[in-house]
Amino acid sequence: MTDAKPQIVVDERPIVFDPGDSVAVAVLRAGEVPGRGGTLCLTGDCGNCLAVVDGVAYVRTCQIEARPGLTVQRHPADGNPPLPGMADRGRLSPRDAVAVPVERREAEIVVIGAGTEGQRAATEAEAAGRHVLVLDAAHGEEVVALYPGPTVIARTPAGMLHVEAGEIVVATGAAEIQPVCPGNDLTGLLTMQAAVRLHATGVSMGRAVAVGMVPDGVPCEPVAGILVRFEGDAAGRVRAVVTADPVSGEETSTPCETVILGLGRAPRDLLARMAGPTVPVTSVGAAAEDHPLPPPPVDPAVVICRCMGVTVGDLEDAWSKGFTELELLKRSTLAGIGTCQGGACLPHVRSWIAARTGEVPAPFTARPASRQVTLAEAGADTFVDAFRRTPLHDEHLTLGARMDRFGSWWRPWNYGDTPAEYRAVREGVSLGDVSTLGKLVVSGPDVVEALERIYPCHVADIKPGRSRYALLLNERGHVMDDGMILRESASRFVLSFTSGGAANAEMWVRDWVDTWGLRVHVLDRTMSLAAINVTGPLAVELLRRAGLADPPRYLGHVHADVAGVPCHVMRLSFTGEAAFELHHPIDRSVELWRALLALGADFGIRPHGLQALFALRLEKGHVIIGMDTELDTTPRRLGMDWAVRMDKPAFIGRAALERTARLDDHHRLVGLTMPGEAPVEGSPIWSGGEIVGNVTGSWASPVLGHTVMLGWLRRTPFPERVEIDGREAIVGSTPFYDPEGQRARA
Amino acid sequence: MRAPDRLRGMRVVAAPDAIDRATWVGEDVTVLRFAPDDAFGHGARGVEIDDEHAIVEAEVGFVGTWLAPAEIERHAEWQLPTERPAFAQGSIAGVPSKVWLPDDGEALLITAAAYAEEMAGRLRASR
Repeated sequence: MTDAKPQIVVDERPIVFDPGDSVAVAVLRAGEVPGRGGTLCLTGDCGNCLAVVDGVAYVRTCQIEARPGLTVQRHPADGNPPLPGMADRGRLSPRDAVAVPVERREAEIVVIGAGTEGQRAATEAEAAGRHVLVLDAAHGEEVVALYPGPTVIARTPAGMLHVEAGEIVVATGAAEIQPVCPGNDLTGLLTMQAAVRLHATGVSMGRAVAVGMVPDGVPCEPVAGILVRFEGDAAGRVRAVVTADPVSGEETSTPCETVILGLGRAPRDLLARMAGPTVPVTSVGAAAEDHPLPPPPVDPAVVICRCMGVTVGDLEDAWSKGFTELELLKRSTLAGIGTCQGGACLPHVRSWIAARTGEVPAPFTARPASRQVTLAEAGADTFVDAFRRTPLHDEHLTLGARMDRFGSWWRPWNYGDTPAEYRAVREGVSLGDVSTLGKLVVSGPDVVEALERIYPCHVADIKPGRSRYALLLNERGHVMDDGMILRESASRFVLSFTSGGAANAEMWVRDWVDTWGLRVHVLDRTMSLAAINVTGPLAVELLRRAGLADPPRYLGHVHADVAGVPCHVMRLSFTGEAAFELHHPIDRSVELWRALLALGADFGIRPHGLQALFALRLEKGHVIIGMDTELDTTPRRLGMDWAVRMDKPAFIGRAALERTARLDDHHRLVGLTMPGEAPVEGSPIWSGGEIVGNVTGSWASPVLGHTVMLGWLRRTPFPERVEIDGREAIVGSTPFYDPEGQRARA
Repeated sequence: MRAPDRLRGMRVVAAPDAIDRATWVGEDVTVLRFAPDDAFGHGARGVEIDDEHAIVEAEVGFVGTWLAPAEIERHAEWQLPTERPAFAQGSIAGVPSKVWLPDDGEALLITAAAYAEEMAGRLRASR
């Protein structure tokens, strides 16, 4: 007869399971261990049954119900599972991205835990007419975080649950104390609750002995005395438990195949400790009780925190160096910061400290998340910042734009046909909404002096009506932002910045002007002016149709009406084609946008989104600060020394650049080309079998016929050929497209 | 909640004493002092100011909604001024905002037009 039992796949081998089995129980039923050894609690408190489940690492297999076809990969015994994609040389796919849905609810009282105490609290509150929501991991609603608000975050089978709560009741009960003694990494060790659960499933435990309290209804042989150590075989399986007489100290070794440990309990108060003083949380039942601590561990070699591999000796070493307080000890040794968040080690560490100081320290603070969450779960619709909309937001939606968040703005990612948007720029004319760019007006008798000090380029020689590209550096010579300096008169300039960096740049300029005591007025016009980028070979012709008879030449700017709207017209180029930014009052933006689209209809005009813009700029090798740069990126690393004039006597960052110019630098942002499709941005760059950098931007260029990329190399000598996405790529120079810049100036 | 109205006026960044002495052109102009050197003349069509380097711009970048002060305060993690008239700035419902409290009655909740939808959505969601 065929065995019709359902199966899961563990380390690529099928294992049958019984209905209702958790993954951990299914593995134990097969005579194996679900994790890397150590005491199993089967209640989700420890990290000893962690495995990769259906591609997600650090999953507590005791909390996951087995279902047919589920795949399990046990973590390495001596380390962490590999990062996703690293196993096959960094091949990542956009398909790997997962959107996790979020359900939002409200409740006057959220009770976490549906045990006896939780049910009692819920019943009492409901009887008082309160709206109560009970969440329990056993029912598929696993609370992973509490935030001020208060907001309760739970993981459910359907996604994430965000609950706005009036009050929170933590009724999560108590966890059992895990043993800290030699041999505590062996398999075959169970807490009492684990033994009860395993017995109920019919899984054989062989010859079982019990140390400490004895579980009801579980066949086992009680062993007297104080726990000293476990002894195991070569396979890492427990074969005996050694206990000592509390009076004489005489040791007794008891042969066994399973040891059941009733060593006491500790409040399962992780969530309560996460709440902080501003969140109204009440703990009830065992979660609120003051349980006795276990005896302090003494053997320096024994592991006290299995998640992080911290030994008692590590605690002693840190203590001797002055880290004589629980929070400091945690930070210096990393005990308690692992996947169980101190669930297993915290009682022992507190006891260990109490033995030295005579005082029991309060438990350390807990921070979200209490359980492993995936990046998709953590990021699921959790935008807290307010995101801005340009005045053209509704126009974009009408045109079918897919909007996305960039630099604290909603921006059109594409209008449904990125290749066509790209071609419109390269071959005709296109509009881009660049209202999000930072726009600062600076004016005053000392304005030239201020800008000469702020920027690494020359400013005084910019003539009214002209502009200059500029980097913004900090005192360390690191690139903070970039943009344009546009001179309007002898004492008045307009400065532009990136969308994401504008707010910081404004503060930067204001702070330095104040610090230096210079007479300069500063007005941020970022949200008062919109901007439309008109770009493409037919841009000049379109603007002439719109009434701008004499558009400014490259890097020039004028104030003029365009389609009847007063504009500050700036000629520059980020796309590599002729481009004009039309800065104008936001209440005229829709009018201008529609007029330009109408005037360019027979040119095949269409707007382009960020996806096309990023591709266009990549072909030109233009850097996007924040996307291509890092916190310590210098002009030299970008190959942009030309934007820095060291002949100036002083500017912010000059001293650092002068000093670091004498040092070897092993970082360089480079251009890369390869045939075929574009690898995912962020892909590792390999050379000689090692990762030497990463791709920051990639695009399969239709006009060039191959893929172009920007990427960091972080190892010298910089290789000339590298491997990306399993293919060879050539390191080269930028721009890839129109290197002479003739099209932008046309 | 009523839809916010665009606030039109003149924006001036200049020497503080020059702003103190400025003459605002228009009827029913309300001058909101964003900072010692920064003022918005709501309803102003022009301004005369004695600072040759002053930045003077027509301002259409803000929107405002008249609301009961208690309604605004419900969304603030700070206390609105108790004296009247008063002008305050800070986060309302997590959105950068300004509040004009005239001598009596409702208060004008001001935010950048770019935040108008976000603000309206947050206030609606919490009603």
